[in-house]
Amino acid sequence: MIKLYDYLLSVNCYKQRLLLSILDVPYERVDIDFYPGWEHKGAEFRKINPLGHIPVIDDDGYVLWDAHAILVYLASKYDPTGSWYPVSDPRRLGEVASWMLFAEGTTNTASAARLHVSLDYDFDLEACQAGAHRLFRVLDEHLWFQEQQGQEWVASGESPTVADIALFPDVALSEDGGISRLDYPALRRWTERVQRLPGFIDMPGIFPVAKAPA
Amino acid sequence: MTITDGRQTEPAIGPADPVAVDQWYALTALDEIPVGRAVRTKLLGVPVSYCRDHDGAPLAWLTQDSLPAGAPVDARTLDAPLPTMADYGYLWTTVGEPGGALFDIPETAEPDRRILNAGTFGIFTSGPRAVENFLDMGHLPFVHPGVLGQQPFTEIVDYQVEYRSSEIYAVNCLIFQPKAAAASTSGQMVNYTFRVPHPLCALLYKSTPEDDVRLDVIGLFVHPIDDGRVRAHLFNCLLDTVNTDGQLRRFQQGVLAQDKPILENQVPRQLPLDPDAEAPTRADKTSNAYRRWLSDLGMTYGVVASTQPGL
Amino acid sequence: MTAPEPGSLLHPVASCADLVPRHVVKARLLGQDLAVWRADDGFINVWADRCIHRGVRLTVAANDGAELVCPYHGWRYSNRSGNCAYMPAHPSDAPPRRLRVPAFRSEERYGLIWSGGSPEAEPPRLPHLEADDTLVLRALPVNVPPDLALQGLHECSYQLGPAAGDAASISCDSAGPFAVAVTARTGSTEEIVVHFVQPVDGGRCVIRPVMRGTPAAGRRLSILRHHARQLEELRARLESSAGSRVTVRGPSTALEPLPRPSTTAASGRAPQLEVSVARKWLTAEGIAAFELAPMSGQLPSFQPGAHVDVHLPNGLVRQYSLTNGPGLTSVYRLGVKLEPDSRGGSRCMHDSVHEGDTLQLSEPHNNFPLRRDAARTVLIAGGIGVTPLLAMAQTLERQELAYELHYFAQSDDHLAFGEVLEPLSTGLVKHLGLSPDQTADEIEKITHDYGAASHLYVCGPGPMIEATRAIAGGSGWPDDAVHFEYFKNESELHDTSTFEVRLARTGRTLMVGAGISLLDSLRDAGVDMPSSCEQGVCGTCMATVLEGQLDHQDVFFNDSERAAGNQMLTCVSRAAGERIVLDL
Ligand SMILES: N[C@@H](CCC(=O)N[C@@H](CS)C(=O)NCC(=O)O)C(=O)O
Ligand code: FES
Ligand SMILES: [Fe+2]
Repeated sequence: MIKLYDYLLSVNCYKQRLLLSILDVPYERVDIDFYPGWEHKGAEFRKINPLGHIPVIDDDGYVLWDAHAILVYLASKYDPTGSWYPVSDPRRLGEVASWMLFAEGTTNTASAARLHVSLDYDFDLEACQAGAHRLFRVLDEHLWFQEQQGQEWVASGESPTVADIALFPDVALSEDGGISRLDYPALRRWTERVQRLPGFIDMPGIFPVAKAPA
Repeated sequence: MTITDGRQTEPAIGPADPVAVDQWYALTALDEIPVGRAVRTKLLGVPVSYCRDHDGAPLAWLTQDSLPAGAPVDARTLDAPLPTMADYGYLWTTVGEPGGALFDIPETAEPDRRILNAGTFGIFTSGPRAVENFLDMGHLPFVHPGVLGQQPFTEIVDYQVEYRSSEIYAVNCLIFQPKAAAASTSGQMVNYTFRVPHPLCALLYKSTPEDDVRLDVIGLFVHPIDDGRVRAHLFNCLLDTVNTDGQLRRFQQGVLAQDKPILENQVPRQLPLDPDAEAPTRADKTSNAYRRWLSDLGMTYGVVASTQPGL
Repeated sequence: MTAPEPGSLLHPVASCADLVPRHVVKARLLGQDLAVWRADDGFINVWADRCIHRGVRLTVAANDGAELVCPYHGWRYSNRSGNCAYMPAHPSDAPPRRLRVPAFRSEERYGLIWSGGSPEAEPPRLPHLEADDTLVLRALPVNVPPDLALQGLHECSYQLGPAAGDAASISCDSAGPFAVAVTARTGSTEEIVVHFVQPVDGGRCVIRPVMRGTPAAGRRLSILRHHARQLEELRARLESSAGSRVTVRGPSTALEPLPRPSTTAASGRAPQLEVSVARKWLTAEGIAAFELAPMSGQLPSFQPGAHVDVHLPNGLVRQYSLTNGPGLTSVYRLGVKLEPDSRGGSRCMHDSVHEGDTLQLSEPHNNFPLRRDAARTVLIAGGIGVTPLLAMAQTLERQELAYELHYFAQSDDHLAFGEVLEPLSTGLVKHLGLSPDQTADEIEKITHDYGAASHLYVCGPGPMIEATRAIAGGSGWPDDAVHFEYFKNESELHDTSTFEVRLARTGRTLMVGAGISLLDSLRDAGVDMPSSCEQGVCGTCMATVLEGQLDHQDVFFNDSERAAGNQMLTCVSRAAGERIVLDL
């Protein structure tokens, strides 16, 4: 069974839990005392990931770290429909890769602001917030145009991809870092669409949404 | 009991609110403080720094340029050291004149208690809003569903609020909880007592799966960075032989992380003390008592003071 | 000419397309934070973004299609009125009507939602955009004050030309105090875009461009992209010249909330609401259904189980339960069964009240409140008694709380409000054509295993209610778990006694003689007692009893309430002894 080295309040770990839940893949959680224990920085954990980061998965001895890489692996291996990581469609795959890289940016700005505010991480809050706003403007515009074309997700196509999973928590929890979404109506609609996906699970800090109308 | 009689003069530093200034505040859990290296923060808007010296004793001082964050600290070179205390596992300090000891938590003397800081979270809210949330039972089924409450069992039956030696107590507070503690294995009706011994500290006592008589004690000690941003410490003093520290922390941090966005979406961030400013119901007796108590103390920091005189 | 106050005008706060189902749009106008949402019935609510309970923003609430649910303590606020519909900490309380989120105007024009403004203000009507369809272009929030944005739009209008228009000649004119119209001519074609500027607060605005006409499907996207690109360039210029970080917030102008639904103070028997019969139809054999719409403003809020007093054209006053579920706030919907032995109430409703007629109503009262914190909820309806239970079933259904609705009726043709029953399928059980004995057997089966936190609600003919109460009591249901509402008092009333009444608060004493009700005696003595059914059914004329034995003749109280002896209905009940003392 997959082992996920996990911390409840980490957005990057949550991305894995979310995809695993949507794909309905059983896994075992190994809780890391991330804060205040800093267990991931300890010698024991560095034997697993020398970078001292979570998430890490161990799938029957195959060990992988880096949140977005793990998403790619999990979707490729465990999504029989092939829609979450669309390898058979080069254009969509390119878009997915592009937005996954974009998500590195939202993680390093929006989610960094959150770590600073919540857990006193040593980041420049204003710089993180300004950076997140720059990216959110781009993403909001992209999603607005997607909607204009009858598209609901970050990458084109009928169904969501790992790019949506990679971006969702950075956006949905941005207010934890003092980043308001007042100016991003299309982003706010998209987060609700993600929350209505079958198999969606939340993490602490995400507000519940009402069901879609019948 | 840390409520002073109220001094006549305005504080020399910090906000013009002697009630807020003349208190001890928990800055950080002792075992999370670096030894010999300065950490910078603010207390009531005043830049302060802290560390532990090489004997482990806590130090705090008004931030000075010569000691940037991370700088090695020599206690003898501090320009303006602040009083400190090491109690309940935290470094307490003040920028005023508290004139008294910290409130007592007798349970901490029991040898089999698990005492730990379950987590410290930064939240964009005021101290009083954070404390009120901690005292609030009605939100449990909505904000902590499946753990500290469960819909549709949302009724808050009448309970009693008392004042004992100028502290607030709310007793016989009952709520159905599916997983009352990390050590719970099933749902149960849980009886809470809430206690407010300090304007920005509150404690709760609740039954525990492991002891029929004694109660778990959980505290919220607020470090007010300024009047719209806090660090909230979750103090645990539990009877739990089952869970590791990591598990206890996961449980408590999950709960606090659910409260954070609620608090950050309350407007205004400061707690309105005017009874008409928000619409309480019978279930909010504790919160009403707390607002009233802050009003009577004359607290003005982190609140929207009541415009109604003579309350 | 002096410029109008921004607060006196309507401004756009969202585009209609932003209001997708079950969503709450976050907006800000003149410093006022707004929660804007569309209910499933299409009504658009513009509310202050703040739960009145403990101040949580309602833009983080869930829109369930009929109500916004605050995430902190689950207070529910109704579509249209903004009234608090439910406080989960107090499952059996009807929230007071003063608990209401401030609501603002919402008007639709040119594909935008407009709000704020003085009561007489209208959204702008521009010659540029009339007489044609409009296309809402991408709106852009800009971190500069509204006046700088307006100025920038004027100055840079030459750069806001059409997608395919090198040769365009561009002119620009002010289209009111908060809009700039840009007209581009290329040969014989003309493109008009009006840029509305929403004043967010002192330091921010949203530019909302609307284009005249509907482009060909193939060109739509490129037009949208082109204008979005241009506006983004404008924004970059505006923001960099205003300094990278504009921090001015305010001054904020207070928006004027809509007035509350106007009703006169509840007292006596005066009607308080004027409604018109918007629709009347035969919903089942012998049952007429009515939809009553307000003559002006909005209808007062109500809870499941509530009824209104209808003042009939023939002078009679009758109580009818509201069948409305939580989604239906634009009309009150009633069902009236034609009673063969009608004293004139149901006959009049059936024969003399027509669509378009005006009726007078009381505000809704609720003597039959629904708890929403039960582990099991059983609703038992006999015939027309289904009406309040329909309101309950729809409420429970919407909140996804389990319930059973047992509907006893003569036949399929006697089932009322089929269109409401239809979507209830999971909880609905029909019991058709049963004799009284068979009915009792069924009720026995339904109630035989009582479990904690179960609640039973029954409404129907008197004998059926009595039977249900007796059967449930026998199966261990406590009094406070069995809720009932009679439609009329079928017991024989005795009013031959005489007794003395002392009014404790005023210190007065009066005599009630034979043939006169206590209620009338109180009124003769100048006490302003409210009343409604005057048959001991509705509970409106309740008084608190401080001393004395009572001769209860109502069908309102349950046995334990009766035994407690501290309350009475003054319309039918009397003293059992010579004297009672009332807390009046
Ligand atoms: N690039 C890594 C970064 C993951 C990351 O930053 N994880 C955080 C938890 S959310 C962590 O382990 N931080 C420890 C650190 O930054 O020292 C990934 O995508 O997995
Ligand atoms: S704050 Fe909204 S329900 Fe309490
Ligand atoms: Fe909480």
